[in-house]
Amino acid sequence: MNASFNHPVLIVVVPLLFAALCPIIGLIRRSLVVWLALFGTACTSFLALSLIGRVTPGNDLSYHLGGWEPPWGIEIRIDTFGLLMVCVISTLGILLVLYSWKYMERELPANRLSYYYTLLMLIYTAMLGFSITGDIFNMFVFMEIFAITSYALVAVTGEKRALRAAFKYLLMGATSSVCVLLAITFLYSVTGSLNMLDISNTLAELSPDYIRVALAALVFFITGFSVKAALFPVHVWLPEAHSIAPSPVSALLSALVIKMGVFGIFRILFTVYGPGFANETANWKSLNEVVAWAAALSILAGAAFAIAQKDLKLMIAYSSISHIGYIVLGICLLSYHGTAGGFYNVLAHAMGKASFFLVAGCFLYKKGFRRIEDLKGLGRSMPISSGAFALASLSVIGLPPSAGFIAKWNILWGCLDSRKYLFAGVVLLGSVLAAVYCLKVVYYLFFTGPRMRDTRIEEAPAAMYVPAALLSLGTLFFGIFSGLILPSLNSASRILMIR
Amino acid sequence: MKKLFVILALAALGVVLLWVVGKMPEMGDSRTPDKTHVVPRYIEDGVKEAGAENLITDVILNYRGYDTMGEVAVIFSALCAVIALLDREKRGVSRSAVDASQVRSSRIVRVTVRILFPVIFLFAVYLILHGENSAGGGFQGGAVIGASIIVFTLVFTLIESTRDIPLTLRVILESLSVLTFLAVGFIGVFKGVEFLTYILPGLSPGVAGALRSQVFMMSIEIAIGVAVGAIFTSIVFAMIKEENFELEPHIPEP
Repeated sequence: MNASFNHPVLIVVVPLLFAALCPIIGLIRRSLVVWLALFGTACTSFLALSLIGRVTPGNDLSYHLGGWEPPWGIEIRIDTFGLLMVCVISTLGILLVLYSWKYMERELPANRLSYYYTLLMLIYTAMLGFSITGDIFNMFVFMEIFAITSYALVAVTGEKRALRAAFKYLLMGATSSVCVLLAITFLYSVTGSLNMLDISNTLAELSPDYIRVALAALVFFITGFSVKAALFPVHVWLPEAHSIAPSPVSALLSALVIKMGVFGIFRILFTVYGPGFANETANWKSLNEVVAWAAALSILAGAAFAIAQKDLKLMIAYSSISHIGYIVLGICLLSYHGTAGGFYNVLAHAMGKASFFLVAGCFLYKKGFRRIEDLKGLGRSMPISSGAFALASLSVIGLPPSAGFIAKWNILWGCLDSRKYLFAGVVLLGSVLAAVYCLKVVYYLFFTGPRMRDTRIEEAPAAMYVPAALLSLGTLFFGIFSGLILPSLNSASRILMIR
Repeated sequence: MKKLFVILALAALGVVLLWVVGKMPEMGDSRTPDKTHVVPRYIEDGVKEAGAENLITDVILNYRGYDTMGEVAVIFSALCAVIALLDREKRGVSRSAVDASQVRSSRIVRVTVRILFPVIFLFAVYLILHGENSAGGGFQGGAVIGASIIVFTLVFTLIESTRDIPLTLRVILESLSVLTFLAVGFIGVFKGVEFLTYILPGLSPGVAGALRSQVFMMSIEIAIGVAVGAIFTSIVFAMIKEENFELEPHIPEP
């Protein structure tokens, strides 16, 4: 039993500790809270990254809370996919807190600011806990925390439009939570367990009387998590909530929170049910197909709506719907290239889209511009932010040598692998549409407006453009060095398909 | 068109529910999986292994204590959500509609509340402390504490209540449940066992172990009670205070 034996739970517990401390430190000195949050996210990130060597494909890290063995107690189970999520969440967490430092100072009065950071730490706790838990009820508990905190973060400025967007989000989010809870009770009533692996074993030889209940549970799980992930027919809450929220919150929601819905779908479809589910492979496959169609529609609809937008943040929000579609499509292709590509897109989209929103925040902070047409010539006066946007758009479009290219390439490969040529066409068309809306902004930034010598450089504070630039460079880094992550994702996905 | 789509979607989910309801395991049948898989161990060994006489307390604070930590965090995030949006009241300054009302609460109401308040509070303490052996527990007791303070505020005005309950104290009490959970968990971590393990190494799991579990569970229970009470109070204070209130003069009592 070595010192790092407790690391899995510390990833969840350390941000929670800092969340509880933030209001108390805020009483003593308000300016300290942001440093406390930064320190907390840094510790969490260190803990998450320290797990990298310890989880290998097919060799999960299991941790029993309270020392109770799984079906009775709660288990934390970290596999390759969970590890990827944890690393992305905790690392992006540091950058978003850093960005909030200057940005939120202007949006919120000081006494409410310490509660903003508390909410941030709580949402990190919840997302980290959600990603690594091996217990479906525990998953629901953490889902509730990130749901409540994200409603609050959307509304935090208190503007009327923000309140309306948050309320819409609240209504749809609460409905989806009810669906998930109902599904959990269904599943518990026929398996008598809440542990994912235990349920999965029970489901493999489920008595034929109960198969119908298990299928209904699957339908409700998918419905609930689709709302959280904003798949096509139930995406209506997303554009308003993501575009009106303060920019660091938009980045957080787009880059991380909607991925939780996708991760929920993935966990339920593959870890809990899986292809071996009670000789019902045909039903399971057809449900997979339905989800894949919803994802394909998301790709096209999201991209088409994004082209039509005049507001920059609204355009980025619609583009998120399109990219969520890519991730879900990749996962539901039932080909290991697809799954690996889908999860690579989690990484690529988290960096690319967070960078987009942070840059949009820089423009908003410095110039107050929201409309795309107003961005004329900003490429000269705000070169670093605009450069970050241009670099990130490579990844969002999916051009080499960016991370987005690797992701889409693998998803495309998955389509061809499982002979879904129509989906392959959708993947390509989605990229073309993405090129239209991204390059429109790049065109306005760099190729219109006044001449070089007439403009002064007026960049946003360094604490704001540095995170955006780092994220953009990250997309490039993981595009070139895709060998760092992709092989283990590939082999983990292959194990998933065999099981 | 939009409405039609919503109705169709809900109808589809309804059809799924109707389709499944006939096949659900029978109510009260003792052979269904939900009663034969994990439950027997909770019932047969719960008191011995987990320490509390109330089996439900055993499950929520010991076997599945991590979930309860999550629930505590849910309540804490609800508070943070309200405060981040609405801000705190200012002590002795913020007023509510009750403060500004021209009609004061009648003497009967005031006297009744004054008599009942300590009794309600005592009942809350009973609920919190007795949760280990019978019905009750931290969440319920905390809700009753919150309710008693809310009744007090509605009758005796917000200014009075905020003067009696200092803000600094409340801020600390609100975090108490999360912090206590973490403290109990970290004791285990520092002793080299899993987070939230109550039976520490070097203790036999028999009588001494059960006693130690009880101490841990009791401290968590008390912390939850106090924190939930403080959180409810703070949420209500933040919600009933009104900004920019046109104060009308009180009509003196006849």
